[in-house]
Amino acid sequence: MAREAWGITADGNNFDTGRRGFLGSSGLAAIGAVIGGVLPLSRNGIGIPPAHAQAAPATAPAPAKGPQYLKFPGKNAGLVVLGEKPLVAETPESLLDDDTTPIEKFYIRNNGQIPEEAKDPDAWKITIDGEVNNKIEIALGELKSKYKAVTRRMVLECGGNGRAGFSPPARGNQWTNGGAGCAEWTGVPLADLLKKAGLKASAKYTAHYAADLHLSGDAGKPTISRGVRIEKAMEPNTMIVWAMNGKPLPNIHGGPVRLIVPGWAGSASQKWLTRITIRDREHDGPGMTEFSYRTAIKPMVPGDKADPANFRILESMPVRSIITNPANGAKFAAGTKELKLRGASWAGDLTVKQVDVSTDFGASWQRATLERPKNKYDWQRWTATLKLPTDGYFEIWARATDSKGAMQPHQAGFWNPQGYGGNAMHRIAVLVG
Amino acid sequence: MMLRLAWLALAGMLLIGPASAQTAFTPRDESPEEFAPGAGRDETFYACTACHGFRLVAQQGMTRAQWEDSINLMTRRHNMPPLDGKDRETVLSYLEAAYPPRAPAGRGGWVNPFAK
Repeated sequence: MAREAWGITADGNNFDTGRRGFLGSSGLAAIGAVIGGVLPLSRNGIGIPPAHAQAAPATAPAPAKGPQYLKFPGKNAGLVVLGEKPLVAETPESLLDDDTTPIEKFYIRNNGQIPEEAKDPDAWKITIDGEVNNKIEIALGELKSKYKAVTRRMVLECGGNGRAGFSPPARGNQWTNGGAGCAEWTGVPLADLLKKAGLKASAKYTAHYAADLHLSGDAGKPTISRGVRIEKAMEPNTMIVWAMNGKPLPNIHGGPVRLIVPGWAGSASQKWLTRITIRDREHDGPGMTEFSYRTAIKPMVPGDKADPANFRILESMPVRSIITNPANGAKFAAGTKELKLRGASWAGDLTVKQVDVSTDFGASWQRATLERPKNKYDWQRWTATLKLPTDGYFEIWARATDSKGAMQPHQAGFWNPQGYGGNAMHRIAVLVG
Repeated sequence: MMLRLAWLALAGMLLIGPASAQTAFTPRDESPEEFAPGAGRDETFYACTACHGFRLVAQQGMTRAQWEDSINLMTRRHNMPPLDGKDRETVLSYLEAAYPPRAPAGRGGWVNPFAK
């Protein structure tokens, strides 16, 4: 089978995702499963080996030890793959050490199939319809030439960032803190187009649609269709963008054109944007209802069965800080008495007013030096110099406090089935000597 | 088609390139043997991987009731064919046994890099 041919090593870990991707296609067995909709007894046709027919062990081994690293053209090999179908990869905190996150280090989140790269980006059409006086259909090239472009450095963060902190585990990709990055986005404020279209008094909410195909292959089914309140759509930092860090927006990041709705769950920033329909009520597309991007109104018992009536849509992301240097697991020479830290912090729609660090599990805290954001929704870099009393094992914890006084908790709280709002303090471990 | 493949292979050999060097991404083939052993593993594997990677399943740790909710959600909202009777029992029993809520609780996904 393909396993041997494509270099899976004895520990099942060191496979070459990128190479496999270039030279092969999906496995025939998987295709068969799609077409036939059947449950074959086993792939090799000899049935389930007797050893596997026994009762399963109480605890299951992970499929592979340690992280699986991404192999994708133009992307940093330090990104950690959370899933390949759909392709999802997060950026370890220590790779978020640049003031502006380079494209190669920017996290990847897909919900469906990745579209083919657009051959003629400027011909890409965007439609604005629904509760507007004049429907707009505009090609990207026209958008670039007829509207005034702006560039802003803004955080984009997956709604599920921090999900791995929930106990019991919440359903979904188990992001640690790496579903975030801060890039320079160039485009036009969505408000400019909405004003041109003319919002009716009934305009309450947006509904975003895109070109990526649902994983099931059903072309009639949107992969994901999020939306935001019209007030957020009209604020000047919500943009339709075509460039990232001064380069044409890469296909893997939603190019040639996507939305950026800064401060809110990343999925609202629809990739491969084709249409925005203005609605007279909260949008109910895939990714808007039940427990998707929704948190509990009345806090629920972790792990209990949830009642959809008790849920409301997630809007602003919570405050978060990360230590970007040193890396988790760094070792220092014996006798090292001082450590210089660097980090980043951000707070959804708000700003960060304070970052503190601790080397004694939170018994005492030291204030970090915090920079101002370059513009609204930029992250805030911070630095601190720590004194260490002895050699040995230390954990460094970081916590940020937002402009309204909310501080990161020790644990991800307010459990919900799909794990939104997890913003436990970041911690790293270092060894001196 | 051949030209495209050749171009992709070339990009793959270079490994890195300008940010514009993009391509479609084909997920690596997974096989059931990579995942937690147990009765029903293969049936579960093929039921889930018709659409998405099994790694998405293996990342989770849930109770039987939560697995049942997840299967219902996939059927209701993501075009999964209904899983009934014996098939449903087989898949649920595997998931319950192979991917239960992870213990110890409260570690926050954080792994001590110095732990042996």
